[in-house]
Amino acid sequence: MEFSFIGTLQKIFAESGFAALVQEPRNLIMIVIACILLYMGIVKKFEPLLLVPIAFGVLMANFPLTGLLNPPDANGNVGLFWVFYQGVQYAIYPSIIFLGIGAMTDFGPLIARPSSMLLGAAAQFGIFSAFLLALGLGFPEKVAAAIGVIGGADGPTAILTASKLAPEYLPPIAIAAYSYMALIPMIQPPLMRLLTTKKEREVKMEQLRTVSKAEKIAFPIVVAIFVILLLPETAPLIGMLMLGNLFKECGVVDRLSDTAQNALINIVTIFLGLSVGCKATAATFLRWETLMIIGLGLLAFMLSTAGGLMFGKIMYHLSGGKINPLIGSAGVSAVPMAARVSQVEGQKANPANFLLMHAMGPNVAGVIGSAIAAGFMIKVFGG
Amino acid sequence: MSLDMESLLIAVSGIAIVFLVLAVLCLLIPMISGVVRVFTKTQKKEPEERTKEEQPAHQSVSAVELVSDHPSAPAAYGGDVVLIGVDEKTAACVMAIVSYETGIPLSELVFRKIKEL
Repeated sequence: MEFSFIGTLQKIFAESGFAALVQEPRNLIMIVIACILLYMGIVKKFEPLLLVPIAFGVLMANFPLTGLLNPPDANGNVGLFWVFYQGVQYAIYPSIIFLGIGAMTDFGPLIARPSSMLLGAAAQFGIFSAFLLALGLGFPEKVAAAIGVIGGADGPTAILTASKLAPEYLPPIAIAAYSYMALIPMIQPPLMRLLTTKKEREVKMEQLRTVSKAEKIAFPIVVAIFVILLLPETAPLIGMLMLGNLFKECGVVDRLSDTAQNALINIVTIFLGLSVGCKATAATFLRWETLMIIGLGLLAFMLSTAGGLMFGKIMYHLSGGKINPLIGSAGVSAVPMAARVSQVEGQKANPANFLLMHAMGPNVAGVIGSAIAAGFMIKVFGG
Repeated sequence: MSLDMESLLIAVSGIAIVFLVLAVLCLLIPMISGVVRVFTKTQKKEPEERTKEEQPAHQSVSAVELVSDHPSAPAAYGGDVVLIGVDEKTAACVMAIVSYETGIPLSELVFRKIKEL
């Protein structure tokens, strides 16, 4: 055998990812994008729990020659990320995330003031207007529907809808959805100040009534029965959301509730993040449509906020000035970030204002509303 | 499909359905509360009567009028706490002490008025 040290080095380099990067430099751009996303997650703390795994998934997916995304072959070999992705493909991860969200959510403020439901509905306005805008820009109907759902500000719902209607656009849709959720404290306040008067923002709302344990237990059961029977497409999200909440409220399955809101949701978040990120390859991500989706997502989110605020103003007038319209913007379903923004803005206008619990009503109604809107889109355009 | 009348109709129908479903839920919630209240009252009637017989009038809290959503007390509207001759700091202390002494979390207590004796 004739061994050449230089020859071996040349062979290692020729078969390495570095050589492949030279042949496909677009992967290098994706690696830079992944590093920027990691920076945003770690340093800027934009939804780090999701952005860090998503960004690392992007990084891994764009290393050439790894075979991480390969489907099963005749020899039984399969890429690790291909296996992870099946949880997104079959809507398993978003549903389990909803189980955890349900176990963490207190529907008390919503039960105490049922009219909050309407604010949650109004804040879905952005979903349908962004759908129309996307159609106007030439996107196919299914893709337009998936883009619109970004306006619900609900990551799992956006992922579920995209995986069913537009799987090829899943990475930009998921990244846009989670980025805007993280940017809520920057996006919403200017709109809140623009669309409401100081007098409206100063309104101090009455304390909510106490809600009994029995009401909190009955609520998820009734909502699951009614909504799922009406719109069966919402079953994975609404069913899991309500089951998680029942775990929390019934008081007899504390261990399950604890698992759903901690260990399980954390495990699934890792797989969800990696699965979404691994789909962001140069071929699917580096195109004009990605920029358009990100732009449309922002617009959808702003329109949803405006829809909630405008309906809040209507309720302000109908209630004789008893409802602070700022709680309307919390109708977008980013829980509890949007409610916190309402609280902060309310306190800026009137330091004695405590809107957090009042805003939690529309906030959790928004979660239900965006799941219904997504169910409608899936029903109309087919899963 | 492009942006046409049909797509507009889909969008309008979509938001209308979201409103409709949530409006129905909005109406269902008071019904749930009503049914729950009726059931709870029926179930509690007997134990409450027994408790009344066993415990005389001295049970009421002297200076603080409060309710809780524990099984022994009916769910009631909270409202703002009326402070009579008591500053906010003292009121906060009283609330914390009542919560600690009764073992009922503050989130489950509703104070109606706190009056200096």
